[in-house]
Amino acid sequence: MVDRYSRQMLFKPIGEDGQLKILNKHVLILGCGALGSANAENLARAGVGKLTLIDRDYVELSNLQRQQLYTEKDVHEQVPKAIAAKKRLLEINREVNIDAYVLDATPISLVPLLNDIDIVIDATDNFDTRLMMNDLLQKYQIPWIFGSCVGSTGMSYTILPKETPCLGCLLDRAPMSGATCDSVGIISPAVQMVVAHQTTEALKLLVEDKDSLRTNLVTFDLWNNYYHTMNVERAKKENCPTCGENPSFPHFSGEVSTKSEVLCGRNTVQIRTGRKVNLQELANRLQYVAPININDFLLSLEYESYRLVFFHDGRTLIHGTNSIEKAKTIYYQLAG
Amino acid sequence: MIKILLFADLQEKVGKPELELKLEQITVEELKSELQKIYPLINLESVMTAVNEEYAMADDAIKSGDTVAFIPPVSGG
Ligand SMILES: [Zn+2]
Repeated sequence: MVDRYSRQMLFKPIGEDGQLKILNKHVLILGCGALGSANAENLARAGVGKLTLIDRDYVELSNLQRQQLYTEKDVHEQVPKAIAAKKRLLEINREVNIDAYVLDATPISLVPLLNDIDIVIDATDNFDTRLMMNDLLQKYQIPWIFGSCVGSTGMSYTILPKETPCLGCLLDRAPMSGATCDSVGIISPAVQMVVAHQTTEALKLLVEDKDSLRTNLVTFDLWNNYYHTMNVERAKKENCPTCGENPSFPHFSGEVSTKSEVLCGRNTVQIRTGRKVNLQELANRLQYVAPININDFLLSLEYESYRLVFFHDGRTLIHGTNSIEKAKTIYYQLAG
Repeated sequence: MIKILLFADLQEKVGKPELELKLEQITVEELKSELQKIYPLINLESVMTAVNEEYAMADDAIKSGDTVAFIPPVSGG
């Protein structure tokens, strides 16, 4: 331990005591895209005791520009991101205990994974999921670190249940993803800048140096050269439905019915049935429709101008359309 | 004079990172609707507002000399 973490232990705010704490902590990273990859690598190198990784997607070529844990081989084999991330992280530091889950984040899927989690890092790509996390982690009293980025901009904020204003307090209206990832793209330094803030806050929490936490919300634009902080103490609302006196946790309604959503910037629709799927059976059924690719985690095929990817957990991605209706039509044509 | 900092896509839509408006006093909400009139392309509905680097609410007053920042939440990750 001494050699491996020596430079980090020389850093006074961490020291040997801090390193021992880091080695015994458990961090959940929600999302293994750009933010998730980089945070996970930082924490694995720092020697965090245990990482839980959650992601619903698999690696694609357009991810490689900024999602640092993945390789062309992962793209070729269509490896789910959580699985590919775990493999790479263990190459970096096999002392870290890593649980990887290929699943969609819902209250039902997340609650069983929250046992002994010390902190959660937000590496999701939409506010629906963040507001659900905001409720969930307030309810279970787990600190978390919000982060988001697009173009050359990004933001981060650290949320301590019962202490700081929650994410909902800051956002009067839930922002829609809208113009962001579709049109604006992203450069990797914007990812790294958000991650620098998130991992640093995570380290402070892991070594229990609460006084050093940043209490404001950071916004930056690396291309246009600004860095702005906003003091948010005033934002805490007594009647907040998440962190107020009588919380109703409005984003935490636990039903899992069939749900469809357009994935931002991907020309892709996700359909979620909540029913487990036997991929081999499905492959047998669809083998005459189109050539099937199947591995342990997913089944994919080309159909007309679309590509469909079925996962065990009842999710299907339909690439090649932004229309939920069109996607449902195709889905039901094939899956029945 | 009130100084206004525009971030992310607001900056793009307005075409510059900063504005100055000759105003003595105005609330956050009023300022938003003023700007919306001048720049119909921008959407200030879900932006966060900071006045002198402090979170501000819709009916907070902004005075001459203050710096207002409009911060659109970005969602990618
Ligand atoms: Zn709140």
